[in-house]
Amino acid sequence: MSKNKVQYTENQFIDGLRTGNNEILNALYKKYYNIVLKFIVNNSGSQEAAQDIYQETIIVLYENVQKPGFELNCQLQTYIYSIAKRLWLKQLKKNSKTFLFKDADENEVVDVTEDVTAHESKEAELEKMNQSLAELGEPCATLIKDFYIQKLSMDEIAEKFGYTNADNAKNQKYKCLQRLKKSFFELLPVEQIERK
Amino acid sequence: MRPIDLFDDYLNRELSAQDNADFETRLNTDEAFANAFEQHKTLIETLNRSEKRNAFKNKLKAIHTSAFGNDAKIISINSEEGFVKRYGKTVLVAASTAAIVVLSTVAAISPGVKQTNTDITNLGIIISASNNAVVEGIKEGNRQKPLPAPANLEGSAFALNNKGYIITSSHMVNGADSVFVQNSSLERTLTEVVLNDPKLDIAILKIVNADVVKTWDVPFTFSQKATDIGEKVYTLGYPRKDVIYGEGSLSSLSGYYNDTTMYQISIPVNPGNSGGPLLNDQGNVIGVIRGKITGAEATGFAIKSNEILKSISSITVDSVKAELLSQPKKQALKGLKRTEQIKRINPYVFNVLVYKKDA
Repeated sequence: MSKNKVQYTENQFIDGLRTGNNEILNALYKKYYNIVLKFIVNNSGSQEAAQDIYQETIIVLYENVQKPGFELNCQLQTYIYSIAKRLWLKQLKKNSKTFLFKDADENEVVDVTEDVTAHESKEAELEKMNQSLAELGEPCATLIKDFYIQKLSMDEIAEKFGYTNADNAKNQKYKCLQRLKKSFFELLPVEQIERK
Repeated sequence: MRPIDLFDDYLNRELSAQDNADFETRLNTDEAFANAFEQHKTLIETLNRSEKRNAFKNKLKAIHTSAFGNDAKIISINSEEGFVKRYGKTVLVAASTAAIVVLSTVAAISPGVKQTNTDITNLGIIISASNNAVVEGIKEGNRQKPLPAPANLEGSAFALNNKGYIITSSHMVNGADSVFVQNSSLERTLTEVVLNDPKLDIAILKIVNADVVKTWDVPFTFSQKATDIGEKVYTLGYPRKDVIYGEGSLSSLSGYYNDTTMYQISIPVNPGNSGGPLLNDQGNVIGVIRGKITGAEATGFAIKSNEILKSISSITVDSVKAELLSQPKKQALKGLKRTEQIKRINPYVFNVLVYKKDA
């Protein structure tokens, strides 16, 4: 589409990301992918791995721009590259591969330890929720989401799931939430609950 | 009242002023109660954040696929069509599952394999009939308003929900190179095929440009209840450049050769009607127009809405399934006059323009 040719400044990228502007997210995504792709592929990664790491990188960036008072102290490209590098390094370590980074002379890197660490603990928590919802099964998972996210009324839920009335639906929701709660908090490390 | 119910009512501001004050007093005085409430809040907040995160991840994946492509392609179940679309291997698996469900439905109802075969052949007749019809529709369309590049096939479609998903006939998009939709309130916009179920003859498209659907407020939902013979029904569709209304009643709870996935309706199905919605008096969607039999002018067939929901439910990718099953909350059309209903429905019924490379 012709709109893709619009050039955005770094500030426009950051503001757009903050406010959830799809067009800007689109443009940002396209602009910085190749640098991450090149880096991953040059460092024993596949294209698929590059895609995963890049998307996680954008999520870290996205989380950070939402923080009040966020300020970028380097070029956006440097920031993105630094996060991607750190995420990839961690993954390679996890797979206990030895390797040599080939980027040494090419790209500047900034310290993003804090951002990536914060992201990882948040990610673990959200992953846990996904896992708990998956364990919960159906119809519980959908029922919980319908009530707490889609904000459907108990009457609507009763109709959708075929319960005879709103009270029955409410009882079902109660049981489902109890199970979700148990599963979520049981498996979540304590420090992550307190971190909030 | 159980604590969880109380917490929810408090968070949803559904307590009376007195109960609300009591609740807050208790939070300040009863530590165990306050802790339990905090835990509840954490759980619900995390739930919300994880859903938002999942949605954002899906968005990034979609951006990636549309910008850089993907090795995995979506293939229609009739895989003779070399159909280059994106959405990953996962949806291909999902689509096969859909086919299995539908097949077994047919098999379960038809006495014996032979009957099943007949059904499939006959469906072929219906489809080719409406294809011919569509071609006539195009000729007429071209005379009225020439397009930069005339579409190879045109038909109808309508919104599935507020997330930019659109439902149409599988036979419309089979072998398509690109699929556009348009109507009086929406300029021609590109879609991608996310689900193709040729057995049931439905396909689901998604509008690529998310900004287009930002303000969507789809006024109808898919009816899950059984429909009775004789019920008044109507349809909207694009046999021409302008939307055409057709009304009649439900003639039979089964379609051609007793196919129970379809209704028979007494609405003359016009060329290009395929893929349009079949609505009841309350303005709920009870089916999707499929086609007609050549020669039977006042008879049409529509795929039942619950069969479509069943097909979607068999998708194995939860995130995709949830998106597709997300229905508009309200039944905004109940009790409205037909003319008023149509006014509200119109923006969500589309003219589908299909382009094929080899055509």
